[in-house]
Amino acid sequence: MNRGIVVSSVTVRFGGVTALSDVSLNVQPRDIVGVIGPNGSGKSTLFNAVSGLVRPASGEIRIDGQDAVGVPPETLVRQGLARTFQTPRVDPVLPVEAAILCGFQTKARQSLLGAMLHLPGQRREEAQMRASCRAIMERLGLIEVADVPLGELPMGQVRLVDVARAMASEPRYLLLDEPAAGLSLLEQRRLAAAIRLLAADGVGVLLVEHNFGLVGELCRHVTVLDRGKVLLEGDVATVRSNPVFLQTYLGSHAA
Amino acid sequence: MIEKWSALIVLVLAVLAAIGMGSNAAWLGTSTLIAIYSLLALSVGITYGQAGILSVAQGAFASMGAYATGILTARYGISPFLTLPVSVLLPALVALPLARLVSPLSPLVLAIATLMFATIVEILLRGGGDLTGGYIGLSGIPPLFDAQTPVTFNLIAWFAVVVVVFLYANLMNSAWGRAINTVRHDPMRAVADGTNVTRLQSLVFTLGAGMAGLAGWLYAHQLSFISPDLFGIPVSINAILMAVVGGAGVILGPVAGAVVLSFFYEFLPGQESRGMFYGAALILTLVVAPSGLLGFTRFRRRSPAVRRGAVSAGAVPGKVAS
Repeated sequence: MNRGIVVSSVTVRFGGVTALSDVSLNVQPRDIVGVIGPNGSGKSTLFNAVSGLVRPASGEIRIDGQDAVGVPPETLVRQGLARTFQTPRVDPVLPVEAAILCGFQTKARQSLLGAMLHLPGQRREEAQMRASCRAIMERLGLIEVADVPLGELPMGQVRLVDVARAMASEPRYLLLDEPAAGLSLLEQRRLAAAIRLLAADGVGVLLVEHNFGLVGELCRHVTVLDRGKVLLEGDVATVRSNPVFLQTYLGSHAA
Repeated sequence: MIEKWSALIVLVLAVLAAIGMGSNAAWLGTSTLIAIYSLLALSVGITYGQAGILSVAQGAFASMGAYATGILTARYGISPFLTLPVSVLLPALVALPLARLVSPLSPLVLAIATLMFATIVEILLRGGGDLTGGYIGLSGIPPLFDAQTPVTFNLIAWFAVVVVVFLYANLMNSAWGRAINTVRHDPMRAVADGTNVTRLQSLVFTLGAGMAGLAGWLYAHQLSFISPDLFGIPVSINAILMAVVGGAGVILGPVAGAVVLSFFYEFLPGQESRGMFYGAALILTLVVAPSGLLGFTRFRRRSPAVRRGAVSAGAVPGKVAS
């Protein structure tokens, strides 16, 4: 079986606009792969194609050898592909712990009747979920804010909660959509540490980011997108020193 | 959370009220009606308050429950306790395919679709000939048991409310409940949690229809006479009002709403002015307590000391698409 998320020559069109053209990518377990590029370069489209929200016009996406094109997004989540949102989609009145508990959806085995009758199996499962939830919160340093409503937290912690919620399903692959946008340096550090821990556990991480600092710190392999095409790819050092990259991504002054 | 104790709260209050009322027929009638309305409003609570599906067909589902038991008991002499599962399951089974059809619709269109469905049910009941009794309706529906009195029936009705609240509160306190709430707040978010949104919404709609069917079953055996407009669209709207006034998102909100609005109804003068008072009650509640009378019980705010470095809720653009 071919492990990993393997994207081969994927093209996505919206009407007459080609948002992504002939893009290939490979995320292996334990890998942190970065995708960067300016606004409108197709980062989000690539992200949505992998997570099943957008259907490619051509090309192939395989997850651990299984064809992922046309599979409903919630099924992909159940198969071990978790994602976060660029703008965390949160209910501001929900406390942190309750929000993370929502991430255990794929772990829930209780029948509707079992839940309604509050059977022993349901009680056991609920206790397990709460214990795992606490473990995740401890790991990400969220335990002190467990009861705080999301609406009262700084953005950095809201993003951490989003990562925690994705971790709850114990994914094999995690897609992160610009997780560092709007975070302070300290918050970025915390996030980076959390992502590293996950990868060390065997999770394959696809990091779509604007912030090259974070990508450079975390990723071995980077793909640079520009206008829907792969401009460059390779390890961080090579990409960073590439004049074409400096020109298009950081602007000519940097070069 | 206090919501876990919802069923116990209803049980205690219902028993206290029953003791207080003794055998006063007028009070018992009101109390029983409140119980039946509570079930109907609870069905709005789960479908609208929890899953965000605004259905104007809850009355129609109750009608199905009432006619199912009415026809089976009055025409075929079957015991009311044997028809109870039929009254609950028939509306639920009709609701399931309907929900599959309508749940992808936008909220307003969905509400209109359920309104149309309710109208169709009413027309079918009117045109049902000998089976449904047409315009005149169905009479001679037997009581639940021979020795049925207003006192025992009131207790049975409230027992049904307690059971429904118990099942409902347990459901909302489980992973199912969390998924249902996520779907209401943000279906995209629910998908990312691994939830099949259409299937879950259909399931909740089905559960709500079953609850409404139970209300219909009770009402048929209380009145012994049913007609097509007994659970017409005004009744469905009334149930929505009760749920919203009491707090549709809170387990006991619909019950509280049923109690408050029923008292309004009892003590207010004249048929014509009732609509006005109802409307006023709705507007007043929504201004004073936007999430209903019991809305304050949902999530308690933390003391300000813990909110160090917090940003306001408005700074989290939760509903902006990514």
